[in-house]
Amino acid sequence: MHLPEIDKYSHLKSVFHSWDPRVKLVSFSFLILSIAFLTHILSAFLGLTLAVILIFLSRIPFTFVLKYLRWVILFALFFLIIMPLTVPGDRVLELSFLSISYQGLRLSVLIALRAISISMILFPMVATMEFHKTLKALEKLRTPNKFIQMIMFTYRYIFVFLSELIRMSTAAEARLFKRRTDINTLKITGNFIGILLIQALERTQRVYNAMTARGYTGRIKTLDEFKLSWLDYLKGVIIIILAISLNFARFIR
Amino acid sequence: MREIIKLEQLEYTYPDGTKALEGIELSVFEGESIGLIGPNGAGKSTLLLHLNGILQGKGKVEIMGLEITNKNLTFIRSKVGLVFQDPEDQLFMPTVFDDVAFGPINMELTKEQVSTSVKKALREVDMSESVRRSSHHLSFGEKKRVSIATVLSMDPEILVMDEPSSNLDPRHRRELIRLLNQTSITKLIATHDLDLILQTCQRVALLHKGKIVAIANACDIIKDKSLLDRYGL
Repeated sequence: MHLPEIDKYSHLKSVFHSWDPRVKLVSFSFLILSIAFLTHILSAFLGLTLAVILIFLSRIPFTFVLKYLRWVILFALFFLIIMPLTVPGDRVLELSFLSISYQGLRLSVLIALRAISISMILFPMVATMEFHKTLKALEKLRTPNKFIQMIMFTYRYIFVFLSELIRMSTAAEARLFKRRTDINTLKITGNFIGILLIQALERTQRVYNAMTARGYTGRIKTLDEFKLSWLDYLKGVIIIILAISLNFARFIR
Repeated sequence: MREIIKLEQLEYTYPDGTKALEGIELSVFEGESIGLIGPNGAGKSTLLLHLNGILQGKGKVEIMGLEITNKNLTFIRSKVGLVFQDPEDQLFMPTVFDDVAFGPINMELTKEQVSTSVKKALREVDMSESVRRSSHHLSFGEKKRVSIATVLSMDPEILVMDEPSSNLDPRHRRELIRLLNQTSITKLIATHDLDLILQTCQRVALLHKGKIVAIANACDIIKDKSLLDRYGL
């Protein structure tokens, strides 16, 4: 089973890998927000092109990006099918009882382009640094500590629960269990999930014990290890200029 | 010698009604190493959880002359280092460094002191090379060693360990024994590894169904086959 590792390529060297995590998060967040508010197809298309260039510059393999992106594409595909048929407007095509509207088509393409671009930008933003650095940067940016703890524990224990799930599956397969599309498989899968949840609950208590045993009183403290340079600011300014420019691209004739 | 741990009539019952400890009386002296043995479910882990106030049962638990209360928990926890049986429970931070630094940071040490204690602790368990690795990428044995380092970095007066040698390869088990013998701090080790007990502990307490049924010199207990047989060891 594939274990999700968002920071698998954090060891590479690129302009984004060497960037201060705090400035990187703020700059890319600004870019993401500006793409989310794009209202023109041309700007959204330029946003997608920019996202592809950013991934190229980050040196993260496209195969890795596509592996995660397929779900977003599937989501976008859903919009591409439904919206042209449901949004009222000028008819572009009519097939018996189905009619495709220009406004629906335009809106669905816009949503798809924005969703795919934003998802792609998350890779140079988050996958170019180790996950703990993302958390530390969030902490330095005054994100509520409880929220950071939630992300941290979720990410940390995904691996533990997945390996527990793999162990349970292996144990079941060793006793001749085969996954089928039948009630029995559904029942056993339900049992797996139930046991996993109980184990998760018990583990929560044990982890909490381990934390309190080492002085935890509700807040996770870490050591500061970031240093800012003028180059970090320069990269930030470039990304913000690009983000603003996207919004003006509609005036290009 | 100073009495560093004192348990008097300690009793604990889990919320589901299971009686885990009953009438526990134990005195541990400064610098002493005591082994806790007993079959599964004897109450070894439950007893260890009382030593830094995670569980608080009936009776008296005194650490360094202080009875454990909610007011002195922070102090007690900085003095009693507890290594859990499953390292997955002990390693919850994103990197090895963060995990080992967790205790020292909570003790309000300075940045330099934290770095020094982390380096020292990782060196002692032969994990210096892994300081920047993610905890979830380590092998089970490595996780075990790092979880020991998470406690050593707090420079405790009492080291409490639950199954410290489980899943360690022979070399690292030998190194653990060397480490335990090297350090002069007081140790309480719960394990099924009787050979480790023989090599590291002066006294042994044998637990059975929540009660201490024997406490004596390590050699005397571990070589008493009929006693061990009687209590399922």
